Amino acid sequence: MIRASQLSKHYHMGESVVRALDCVDLHIPHGQFVSIIGSSGSGKSTMMHIMGCLDRPTSGTVEIHGQTINSMSEKRMALLRNNEIGFVFQTFNLISRTSALDNVLVPLMYTRRSFSSKPAIEALDRVGLSKRAKHKPSEMSGGECQRVAIARAIVNKPKLLLADEPTGNLDTHTGTQIMNIVHELHEDGMTVVLVTHEMDIAVQAERMIEMKDGKIVADTAVDAARRAEILKLNQDAHQSLFRKKSLHPPSSKPLPPQMEAR
Amino acid sequence: MFHFQLIITAIRGLQQNLLRSILATIGVIIGVGAVVSAVSILQGAQRDVLDQFESLGADQLIIVDGKREHGGVTSSVQALVPDDAEKIQQENTELVLRVSPQYQGGGQIKYYQQNVNGFILGVTETYAPMNSYKVDTGRFISREDVRGSTMVTVLGYGVAQDLFGSLPPVGKNVKINGKSFIVIGVMEKKGTLGFLNVDEQAIIPLSTAMARMFGQKYLSMLNVQCTSAAAIPACLEGINQTLRVSHRIRSGTKDDFTIYTQEQMKQRFAQVAKIFGVVLYSIAGISLLVGAIGIMNIMLVSVTERTREIGVRLAVGARRFDILKQFLIEASIISLFGGALGVVAGWAMANFLGEFTQVIKTYTPPIIIVASLIMAIFVGVVSGIYPAIRAARLDPVQALRYE
Repeated sequence: MIRASQLSKHYHMGESVVRALDCVDLHIPHGQFVSIIGSSGSGKSTMMHIMGCLDRPTSGTVEIHGQTINSMSEKRMALLRNNEIGFVFQTFNLISRTSALDNVLVPLMYTRRSFSSKPAIEALDRVGLSKRAKHKPSEMSGGECQRVAIARAIVNKPKLLLADEPTGNLDTHTGTQIMNIVHELHEDGMTVVLVTHEMDIAVQAERMIEMKDGKIVADTAVDAARRAEILKLNQDAHQSLFRKKSLHPPSSKPLPPQMEAR
Repeated sequence: MFHFQLIITAIRGLQQNLLRSILATIGVIIGVGAVVSAVSILQGAQRDVLDQFESLGADQLIIVDGKREHGGVTSSVQALVPDDAEKIQQENTELVLRVSPQYQGGGQIKYYQQNVNGFILGVTETYAPMNSYKVDTGRFISREDVRGSTMVTVLGYGVAQDLFGSLPPVGKNVKINGKSFIVIGVMEKKGTLGFLNVDEQAIIPLSTAMARMFGQKYLSMLNVQCTSAAAIPACLEGINQTLRVSHRIRSGTKDDFTIYTQEQMKQRFAQVAKIFGVVLYSIAGISLLVGAIGIMNIMLVSVTERTREIGVRLAVGARRFDILKQFLIEASIISLFGGALGVVAGWAMANFLGEFTQVIKTYTPPIIIVASLIMAIFVGVVSGIYPAIRAARLDPVQALRYE
């Protein structure tokens, strides 16, 4: 559950003041899938950073899972980010020198619990990458990298998933794959807040919030029937993608005639 | 939270830019190596010199030229003559066992085509027994040799080896600074005695050295052996009296000679060692400082390079302290690793210098190994703390946006 009231965030850019968020009121109940849409500079990223306890508002209050973050110590905020919130970024933000598994292990390093790599293996399994655990990000495709990033976000079983343009750097097919994982996580009971500027992605959420110049300009529930239709399409697209792949694995492609001649 | 994972993370961080990490490590190796070798050389020299003093014997005194201050300039006054030796012996028979007057010069010792450059030491018959220095073959200089200024020489073991090899030297004619001497004996192998490698010297009668060889009136020094170590204060008093009378020094005027006991020599040496120590340790300290700056430099670059990574770590729940710890551990690994290798390098360097020069004796006290490692960690933490604080202070939102 996220509750923001009269939330403002101002930045000073030289002489002028940028109102990234301007008196925003918002309530996201537990388990809801919300998309925030808006052009760049609309304040959607700032909104997400404050919800993710990475930033503090200039004024107004934010409550996350019943805890007000305004007066929270840095330590408490870090703990909250670690236990209750999972981040997924547009550019994956994986640590390039270490393996997929090591990347997923990072949040576990900062928990108060005793260290074990088991949750990381489970999380990788969940995104279907348990076989790629030893690979480095440079050896994986963009979609796989984003799946690793999702595994990292969910390794501590948070209640809230914050995704900042998770499909922005991916092609449509791979983006669909990622969205399917997001839907699954939502179905499992996670609250999902997804920031995007693509309408196709935004309409996959239960609720769509549109922002402009630091204000919420529209807050609509997505028509359930339409949403179901899109999800069905996604599933089919995904499956057909897999089917195609299994029918024509790249290695069994017939070689062009001139290459065969050699 | 401190577990193995942190160290692995730090090592991986360092591996990311291996060359840079290695260069920083080399900085530490040189710094710690310089400290260890400086200590080894200084400690070795100190031990060596103290051993030399011990070999002089606690019952011995050394009398050298006095010092005169004239208008702020200190100069030495040459005043000791061979007669002083006789007088000291005769006037303090109860206290003085032996007196050995010495004149020391340098020169070339030649036997046909073979020649050696060495010390030429003019002494009387007392020199050998006073230093428990024995002849290997032949005989030592006698009282008659000194009285008659004979052209005879007793060669140091090394000189004899160099000139004659396996031939028997006794009875042969050698040329010392162009003058002909008969070899009457060869000394035993001794090494160093009173700071000189006596194996590399030719011993001739004192009178021969002063009158016929160098044409000098004054002695280099007088070595006095008292009857016992307990007699030293009385001995000092007696000798002082004898020399003042003999040199006709009026009361109220300064001595024109200086008498050192073993203890005083040690103290004087300690002063010199201190000065050398300050110089050597300063140089070593500067090397270490440069090493520390190297670590700080690479840590700062590393923090800038890994800004996004820091942002990610903060986003997934790292506390600022966790980030600080991570960079401090990296700096400590460099310095500890560099420190360990530096100890080995410094020790090897000191030993190499010892072997190579054959003059420097080195000694690496075990405590210095522990101290160096502690110092290395200290350097790592001190030089890593500022970059680590900078990393920990990053704003997570800014860090995540950093390109």
